[in-house]
Parts: sequence; structure tokens; C-alpha cells
Amino acid sequence: MDIFIQLLINGLLLGGLYAIIAVGLTLVFGVVKVANFAHGELLMVGMYAVYLLTKHLGLHPYVAAGPAVVLLFIIGVAIQRFVIQPLLNAEPEIQIFATVGLSTALMNLALLVFGANMFSVQTPALRATLNIGEISIVKANIVMFVSSLILVSGIHLFLTKTYLGRAIRATSQNRIAAPLMGINVNKVYMVTFGIGSACVGLAAALIMPIYTVFPTIGTYFVLTAFVVVVLGGMGSIWGAFIGAMIIGIVDSMSGYYIAPDLKEVVYFIIFITILIFRPTGLLGLGKGSE
Amino acid sequence: MNQEKGDASTSLPNAGGSPFGWFCDPRVYMSIAGLLILFMIPVFSGSPFIYHVFVTIFLYGALATAWNIVGGYAGQLSLGHCSFYGIGGYTAVLLMSNYGLTPWFGMLVGAILSAAVGVAISYPCLRLRGPFFALGTIAFLEVFRLMATHQKGITGGASGLIVPLKIGWQWMIFRDKFPYLLIAMSFLVLTLIVTLIIKNSKFGYYLIAVREREDAAMALGINSVKMKIYAVIISSGLTSMIGSFHAIYTTFIEPSAMFSLAFSIQIAMFALIGGLGTVAGPLAGTLLVVPLTEMARGWLGGAASGLHGFVYGAVLVIVVLTLPAGIVGRFGGVISRLISRLPGAKTTCVPVVTAVEKGSHEVVKIGQPILVANNLVKRFGGLVATDKVSLELREGEILGVIGPNGAGKTTVFNQLSGFLPPDSGTVEVVDASGAKVTPKTPHAFAGAGVGRTFQIVQPFGKLTVIENIMIGAFNKHPSADAARRKAYEIANQVGLYEDCNTVASSLTIGGLKRLEVGRVLAMEPRILLLDEVMAGQNHTDVQKAIEMIRRIRSSGISIIAIEHNMHAIMSISDRVVVINSGSVIAQGSPKEVVENPEVLEAYLGEEYTHAQVA
Repeated sequence: MDIFIQLLINGLLLGGLYAIIAVGLTLVFGVVKVANFAHGELLMVGMYAVYLLTKHLGLHPYVAAGPAVVLLFIIGVAIQRFVIQPLLNAEPEIQIFATVGLSTALMNLALLVFGANMFSVQTPALRATLNIGEISIVKANIVMFVSSLILVSGIHLFLTKTYLGRAIRATSQNRIAAPLMGINVNKVYMVTFGIGSACVGLAAALIMPIYTVFPTIGTYFVLTAFVVVVLGGMGSIWGAFIGAMIIGIVDSMSGYYIAPDLKEVVYFIIFITILIFRPTGLLGLGKGSE
Repeated sequence: MNQEKGDASTSLPNAGGSPFGWFCDPRVYMSIAGLLILFMIPVFSGSPFIYHVFVTIFLYGALATAWNIVGGYAGQLSLGHCSFYGIGGYTAVLLMSNYGLTPWFGMLVGAILSAAVGVAISYPCLRLRGPFFALGTIAFLEVFRLMATHQKGITGGASGLIVPLKIGWQWMIFRDKFPYLLIAMSFLVLTLIVTLIIKNSKFGYYLIAVREREDAAMALGINSVKMKIYAVIISSGLTSMIGSFHAIYTTFIEPSAMFSLAFSIQIAMFALIGGLGTVAGPLAGTLLVVPLTEMARGWLGGAASGLHGFVYGAVLVIVVLTLPAGIVGRFGGVISRLISRLPGAKTTCVPVVTAVEKGSHEVVKIGQPILVANNLVKRFGGLVATDKVSLELREGEILGVIGPNGAGKTTVFNQLSGFLPPDSGTVEVVDASGAKVTPKTPHAFAGAGVGRTFQIVQPFGKLTVIENIMIGAFNKHPSADAARRKAYEIANQVGLYEDCNTVASSLTIGGLKRLEVGRVLAMEPRILLLDEVMAGQNHTDVQKAIEMIRRIRSSGISIIAIEHNMHAIMSISDRVVVINSGSVIAQGSPKEVVENPEVLEAYLGEEYTHAQVA
């Protein structure tokens, strides 16, 4: 039983990380209606940024979160302005190819610049475990989980309580009607893409103490994030949070009870099943995949 | 796409030509010359590196061409095509090393296996649109990769398998590079020929129709799921065969290379850069990108790992932003015009069509009921859109359906053509053999002889007028030439003869409405459902439409027409059905209906009727 509880807690904490990444992806998808296949590479860029900031400026990775978030926000705005915006009326496959191209280019650029080596940040204090009875928890994971809760609540409040947030929601519901109400749609899209990307800036700073960075790390995370987003319902913020928790638990349980190298098979099968039978997500919060 | 447009007028059969007449077509001999030059470059250079680059180009070109059948023609953006490439590779290598079977046999087994897997994967995934289909194919690919890694006992796991070194044609392994080049070239030619055949066949036109507008395609009797599945079978089989050969050629296979997401993306990328849904596009894309990156790798060596990927990604983004139709899509038209100036080009020959006789509206005899709707009920949530609607159409009749906006007329039509299943009630159709049938799906209705138009026109925008009509004509004329001849006839009948080679999206609204009718007429239906073909047209266009509907009826087709133009509908209909708030409130001859107080009330309001009485 202890092992089960341990796995459950590990899963929920891991879910916190997936939530931070998936919330950005789902926000962009829900508003701009573009599935950003380069989302994982943005995380990779963020991780290299945090690594460089800690190595050369001696910043604590959590302090580096500030500049990483700003950097990723700017990159997100730039991608929206120069790549997505010209393609808003293009066919969906063209938009997919644009983000896939971006993903391929960024991943290989990292390979050119940093090589295939793995880099990590040494912060023993954060890798230490906290023991409660039989259960042990890595401290960095607690920070990650708490941050994910704050982030998701923050985005929720932003979308429901502020003018800009309401403008974003209005635009997501009707791109044609929103400008008639005086909303600058292009600006809304840039801000949304910026926020969505900034989320992975935060994620990068939070995982740097416990993960290593290498050029293809984004692929792993982006596929998982897509699983989370489809499970929670494309475009739904809280759906993404719940989906992330579920996938986190599936990840830690199937790694133990089935086989470590098959845990991804388990959630890809969940993913395919949801995609086909429950296109609006497990809780029906999303926009549907048909 | 431009290439396709050029063909509509030029590829009519060259009657009386010699058996080798096709070779005199400049497009044929220029293509063969082009491929021969590609083949000769490595042979003359003799350098093993150049040989390798060209084997790679041919194989990547073949993979991209095979991908294009699903990704381009069928419009299903698969980013997991390496599932089939990997299955082909593993099947051939495993049968060779475990059972000593020749890879030529393994290649066929792999192709059959891949086609079966392709059907199993796509049957559920084809409902998904846009990014979701792509994500579904990626998920399957990842599952294959992880399973291949996990099943160490069979596949050797992550450490991979070495192809047994047995030399000779039966083992597909050679000391010399030349046979590899020959086989790779054969695969390229095979995929190109398959694509060419598809493009010029009924199947190819159907695929494009489904890709452009699935609803309109279904109304023309096309079983869209079946078409996509056929495309998947052909594409996955070919991909698998190339995978088998490539596995033997590289002499080593591992899950991360055989079921690679990055490679799947690259294949799709070559096709996009060259031009989706064109015959030459995927090869053109490969020819542009692969030599560029191979050369760069040659110059910079291992220091530049990641460079070729960076170039791929960057070129892809640039092409998407500046040339979304791809190289062939953008420049293909110019090139094919240049080529058609070369000797031997066929001149455009258009069948001569006699003028339509006007005013020959002999009285048509009204026969037995040919389409009967019984108590159709359809609810949308709390709204009852049609409430026990019953109507019957008799053979040779024009039945007008009128009613205020939102009365449920189009909902009735959707149930009469299989686009909406009724919650209760039946639709009975008398088919060509005289048997009573109750079709359920759009293509089953089309099969029973029911054709329909859409209130909001649904042209296949990128196709020409004649190609649009051909899609309908294929219903009764499976060969492209016969369908094209029929299409010219129909174009003449609906007054679009002058616009035959115009792209549909540039027609006026009147032209589009007539195209919509022409396309469905080309199916040679016996029952025609016309949904507001006169709406939004000026007086002359309405007159043309009235003439056209009368001509259609004289040719023996029974018609139900929804119309708002009272004057027009009253003058052409034999009987009129009035629908209001989802129910039939009146029916009878036009005269009876206009005098019915309930109808007046529905249209003009209660006060008006009271005022009249007073």
C-alpha cells in the first residue's frame, strides 16, 4: 500500500510539470486555433537559457525563471507575428507544417550550437528528499506542483477577470465578430501566443534542477503535452490541469506495474482512444477533434 | 495543382494515333529524359558518394511520392508514415535472418501487413480533422517504435539488427552500387506511375473531390471513407516496400531509425515543398532539399551535425510562408506550358456539342410515386425541426417546396438525401430497376438515383468547371474520357460551355448555382432535389434557371425544388407543398395553394388575412 501511495504522489507531482507545459499549449490551441508542434522546442530553448544563466551569471535556476519567462514571451510573440499571423487563413495542414518546420529548425539549431551533450544544473538542495513516514518526496517536485496550481489559477483569473482576458476569450469564440467590438485580434493572438510560450519558460526553470537538457528533449514533452491536452479537452485550461494529473499518475503507475519502457505506450493508447471515442476530452470540456 | 488544370483540355484521346503515339507527347518524353539524366549522373561520375546521394534521392523521392497519395491527393496529413516504412523494413529483415527468406518475398509480406495496419489505423482516425489526424498518426508511430524497442526477443530491441550479409540478386545485397541505383530508380518510377494513373482516373478525381468538399462529394455518390481507405492501402503498401529495400540497403535497422518521427516529418516535408497533390511535386521537393543538405554535410563533415535538419526546417518554414502551393504548384503551370510548345504536343480538342433545342417542353406524363417520405421527425435538442413531414414525388413531376425562412425545408432535404438521419419516419425511393429501397447514407441515396444541390453552393473550388462536372459524370461513366465527354455535354446544357476551363472558384454566383446543378445532372439521377437554385440571382439568371429546370424535367428527371421566388416556383411546379414550423400546412396545385388562407397567414401574418376578409 505504501508503494501505491508513493506512486500516486509521484504521479500527481509529475502531473504538475505536465500541467505547466500543457496549459500553454491548450491556451494557444483554444484561442489561435493552431496546434503548436514547436511547443516542446520552446521548452528546450527555455532550458538552455536557464542553463546558461545559471552557469555564466551564477543565478539560481528559480531566479533565472524571470528572464526565461520574458525571453519565451518575446519568442512566442515573434512566432505569432512572423509565422502564424500570415498563415491565419491558410489551410490547417499549412499551419501544421509551419510549426513542424519551426520545431525541426529549432531542434537542429540546438544540435549545431550545443552538440548532442546533456547539460544539467547542480542544485543539491532541490534534489534532496523530504521524508514523511514511508513517503519521500523530491523538494523540487513540490515547488513544481505548487507553481502549477498558482499558474493555472492565475491564468483562469486573468481570462475571467481582466479586460484583456475577456478579449482573448471573445476572440477565441468568434474571430470575425471580435474586431467589430473593437478588439485588436492580431494583438490578442500575439499576447496569447506569448503567454502560452512563457508558460514553458517557467516550466524550464522549474525542471532544470532535476532534468538534463539536450536538443531532442522537446519531442518527448510535446507529445506528452498533446496527450494531456486531448485528454483534458483541447482549449480547456482546467481540463489540461486534470488531464496532466491523470497522465502523471498513469506515467508513474504503469512505469512500476507494467514496464518502465511501456509507460508511454499506455498513455498513447489512452490518447488514441480519447481522440477517437471522446473527441471533446474525458470531461467533455474541449472543442472536439472532428 | 496548375498541372492538373492544364490537362483538362489536352489529354483527350488522340483518335487514330499510332500505338506508340503516347510517346510523342512532349510531357511524356521530357519526363523520361529528365529521369534518365538523373539516373546517368551517378553512373558517369562513378563516385560511391554520388551513387549514395542519388540512391537516397530516389528512395526519398519515392517515399514522398507514395506519401503524397494520402497526404496530398486524399488530404490526410499523416506524420506517422514511418509506421509502414518500419513494418516493411522489419518484416523483410526478420524473414531473411530468421527463416532465410528472400527480401523480395519479405517485401511483399511487409506490404500486405502494412496495408492491413494502414486500414486498421486509418479507419478510426479518418474522422479526425486537421491537427488531430496528424497527432493520431504520430501516436501510432510512437506505439510501434516503443513496442519494437520493448520486444527485444524479436527485434533485438534498441540495439537493432544487422542484416545478414548474403550477396546476390536474391538477397538484394550487392558489391557494386549500380544495382542499388537501378532498384531505387525502379521504386521511384513505380510510385510516379501509380500516382499518374490515380490522377487520371475516376479514383483520383474522387479523392480530390473528397479532399476539397466532403459533403458535396458524398452528394455525388462518392463513398468518402472507402476512397480514403483505398488511398491509405496503396500508399502504405508502397511505403512499406521502399522501407524493406532501404533496410537491406543500410544493412542495419533499429527502432529509432525505422519508426522515426523526424523522418516521417521529412517525407511529408519533401512533398509539401514540391507541391501537395501534384505528380512531380514530391520528387521536385526531394531534388531541391536532399542534394543541398548532402553537399553541406560533405563539406562540413561531422562538425555540422544538425545542419541538415536545420536547413530542412528553415526551408519548410520559408516555403510555407512564401510558396504554400510548393514548387510545382507555383511554377508547374509555366513549365507545362513551355513543354507543350515542343513538337508532338496534342492540340486542344473539345467535343463538338449541338446546341440545345429551346421551347420543346412537351407535356410530360405524371406517373407513379418515385420518392415517398413518411412522417419524418427530426429534433435538434428541444427544437422540432420537422414534425411528421410526409410528401411524395411522382415520376415526371416538378414538386415545389415553399415556406418561410426557418420552416425546415432544408432539414427535409437533408433527410431526403441521407445527410441527416430522421429520428423517426422513412424515405422510400424507387430505384432504376423499379424496386423500392430505403437508402440511409448520402452515397446510397445517390446510388438509388437521387441527386441534390446545396443551398450554399459547394464547388470543388480548385478544379475547373469541366472537372467539377466530371466528378458527377464518373457515377455512370467510369473512364475519364467518357466522363469528360459527358461533362462537356452537361456544361452545354447548363450554359457553362464557355467557362469549361475556368477554375470553379472564379465563377459568378449564378454560374456556381448552375455548376452545382450541372455536376449533379452529370450523375444522371432520376430524382433531383434542387435547394434554392434561383436565390440571390438577377432576373435574367432566374429566367435561365427556369428554362433549365424545364429542360431537365423534359429529359425525364423528376424534381423537388425548394424556392423562395414565388413567381418562378408557381410557374414551373405541377404541385406545391407548403412547410411552416416544421409541418406540412398545405399542398396541391399552385392555384389551390396561393388561395389557401393558412398559407397566406404563414407568409403575410394573421392581420393581413383578417384585413383581407374585412
